[in-house]
Amino acid sequence: MSILVSKLRQSTAAAVLALTTAAFAGDALAKDLTITVWAGGSNDSDVYRLDAIEMAADILSREYAIRGEELNISVEKKRDFAGWDEFRQAVTLAAEAGSAPNIVVTSHLDIAPWSQSGLIVPVEDYVDMDTWPINNIYENLLDITTYNGVVYGLPQDAESRPFFFWRDTMKKIGYTDEEIDALPAKVEAGEYTLQNVLEDAKKAVDMEIVEEGYGFYPRVSNGPDYAQFYQSFGGELMDKETGKLVLDKQAMTDFYQFFVDAVEAKVTRKNHIGTEWDQWYAEVASGKAALWHGGTWHYARYTGKEGLDDFFGNIQFTLIPAGNENGQANTITHPLAYLLTKQDNEDDIEIAAQLIKIASEPRINTLHAIKSAHLGIAREQSNIELYANDRWAAEATRRLLPYANSQPNNPNYGKFSEIMFKGLETAWTGTKSPADAVAEVEAEMTAVLGDDLIVR
Amino acid sequence: MRRAHLLGLGFMTPALFIIVFLFLAPVVLTMMFSFTNMSSGTGISSGGAYEVTERTIRLLKDQGFPETTADRLAEDTYKIDAAGLAAVQADFGKAFAQEIEAELSGKSFAGRRDLERELKRLKERPRSTRDLKKAADLFKRSILNTRFETEQAFLTSVDELDLGLGETETAELTRTAYTGWVWTTENYRLIASLPSTLRAAGNTLIYVSFTLAFSIGFGLFLAVTTFYLPSGVATTFRTIWFLPRILPPVIYVMMWKWMAWDTGFLSSFLAHFGVPPRNWMLHSDINAWVVVVLINGFVGASLGMILFSSAIKAIPETMLHASEVDGANRLQQIRYIIMPQLRWPILFTTAYQTLSLLTSFDYIYLSTDGGPGKATEVWALYTFHTALNNYGGVLQYGLGAALAMVLVVIGIAAALIYLRLFNFNDLVAKPRIEQ
Repeated sequence: MSILVSKLRQSTAAAVLALTTAAFAGDALAKDLTITVWAGGSNDSDVYRLDAIEMAADILSREYAIRGEELNISVEKKRDFAGWDEFRQAVTLAAEAGSAPNIVVTSHLDIAPWSQSGLIVPVEDYVDMDTWPINNIYENLLDITTYNGVVYGLPQDAESRPFFFWRDTMKKIGYTDEEIDALPAKVEAGEYTLQNVLEDAKKAVDMEIVEEGYGFYPRVSNGPDYAQFYQSFGGELMDKETGKLVLDKQAMTDFYQFFVDAVEAKVTRKNHIGTEWDQWYAEVASGKAALWHGGTWHYARYTGKEGLDDFFGNIQFTLIPAGNENGQANTITHPLAYLLTKQDNEDDIEIAAQLIKIASEPRINTLHAIKSAHLGIAREQSNIELYANDRWAAEATRRLLPYANSQPNNPNYGKFSEIMFKGLETAWTGTKSPADAVAEVEAEMTAVLGDDLIVR
Repeated sequence: MRRAHLLGLGFMTPALFIIVFLFLAPVVLTMMFSFTNMSSGTGISSGGAYEVTERTIRLLKDQGFPETTADRLAEDTYKIDAAGLAAVQADFGKAFAQEIEAELSGKSFAGRRDLERELKRLKERPRSTRDLKKAADLFKRSILNTRFETEQAFLTSVDELDLGLGETETAELTRTAYTGWVWTTENYRLIASLPSTLRAAGNTLIYVSFTLAFSIGFGLFLAVTTFYLPSGVATTFRTIWFLPRILPPVIYVMMWKWMAWDTGFLSSFLAHFGVPPRNWMLHSDINAWVVVVLINGFVGASLGMILFSSAIKAIPETMLHASEVDGANRLQQIRYIIMPQLRWPILFTTAYQTLSLLTSFDYIYLSTDGGPGKATEVWALYTFHTALNNYGGVLQYGLGAALAMVLVVIGIAAALIYLRLFNFNDLVAKPRIEQ
């Protein structure tokens, strides 16, 4: 009897043990996970910034399934932020509250401050950087997502910021087709400068081809674009030796003066800053402005929502012309990057890291590149027909990217660019003369940036 | 204590709760924040960490830290040594440790990536990238780019490097490597020296005085004029003028924008008279100020109108009748009867609106956002932009808090002055009813 009882006990214990193990094992195998991804500055055409993560999640779950693990990832996507200001505010405050999204798609400029505060973690700690597709990404783009020698993010796209000419208007003020076609080369050689921009814009206004204020029609809010004009006049953003930010007073004054001259010549509106983006896109895509500047991704907007059928027949694009003999034609590339935020659970970070790696797959990235008219991040994309057969991607890459530089990854660059833009605004709107505005910029930068600034 | 007093205390509790948690606590916290350099770069809650990076090295060299020591800190070394092998054996098993020892013993690598490449060749290696990286980290013999959560851990690792640092040098290194926020009075010095704070102060002065003058004046005008209207008409007018206050700010400002934009109502209307279209909200500083003052002024005026109207209603009608018998006209009635009775509501509205205007920026944020060229950026908006909302994304919580503290101080001072000025005790006479 006692043997029986003891046997019974043993078998019960074994059964319980087996059940528990099975239950736990099942638990360990089936993993449900929600990955949140937020993208800043993204329009309808940029959906693949987020959708790529969803596609990656599908692939990753399949990889896990083959290895015998069940991984269910649901991706929560968010891109409806009013602007960059609101996006950065949201990310920073969510992180402070302990509920940061797993993945953020944002400017590479955020890497410096966010890595210092520990908001983001280096991607190189979680993925093998020598494997596909990371080993196919352009090194110079990876350099831009590297800070302090550590790769923090994976480039999500590349772009650059060209100068645009409305061909018809240019013809009406006396250019021949051949001369318009030769503009990119002339700009690159420094033969067509921002002074010529003013002259041509003035002609277009004086001849009443465009309305007053529409001769030269710049970006309506702060952005990397304005740093280009600083560079056009010989300004340098960062000192390569010391890594410090540079305020070149002469270049800054000339850069402000250019916009003041544009207002005085009535080719640019005094109150241009703050114009609605929708209005702006509609106007430049319909020839209401003679000359303007924008980004490579504008192609998608002009030919998509704004309904411009023949981009190449209507618009010429070049580098941003040199301002004077101190500077040269240039363009800034401002790649967005996939960044990983710090999470309590390291496994979640690892999975997020694998997702952004898969999302960088050339074929997936090409969907984003072509849909949003951005440039590719990896070499193999030129072997993908969708990319290779796209005229815009091909021409913009060839004409602009070799000359593109990026803004410096410095934790204080955000303040630098804010102050620079504020100064521009005060000069542009006539609140101060360019010289006074630069004096204020100098005082402001010296006080705020301290040792991180070199004044020339 | 009498029971009635206890009851009184009970009734006071909700008010005390509100004062402590919704006023005092935020003020105390703001004050604390204002003496820190908190920003999105330092974080608030994370508490900071210690990390030597390329930037730290540059800063150290700038501060005169010994060059050779700084260069040693800048090394990124991975060394296959006995300690590392033992650690690998403990974490990843003997076979892997032995394979490493056989293949790589004694070798050094500059950077983890080179070591990872070597480890990847081995047969016994862990088959997950993350584990491989963890194994590689066990051979790390430098501190570059390692984030230490505590000062103790950081100092221990620095000690292991055997740099022979003196006490001051260690302190300097620790201070520079610290990524979190520190206590400082720098924010107040900055406020005193920045040209942009001076402009924000000037803008605030313009904003408060003009808006106040407009809203009191116009509120008074509305109250007096509607008083003399038949009651039905008066109510209609008052309701209309009350709209700015009850409309959601976003919609209210949107309507102003429709009116003021260069393609808006005002421009289209004036086009008939040959006035070229322009953005009446942002064309010039003056335009912007007029719009800002009007947008806020109408909201303020509607409150004034309601308060003044009810005060006028409280004037015994017999006084007005008597004055008419004496031959007083409307203007004389207003000057000698109505206005003196409105002293208290006017003073109250002035005080209340000064304080609320000082700290309010919502309508400006929605309309001009401080433009053009920061011409209408008032102190409160400047604070908001600095601390919470700017394109560069560097949110300076500490500086923002210091800016907010200035407003708190000015607000309290103004409140005290107003109390004194109104002679509150006289205004609220002691009740004649016995307790």
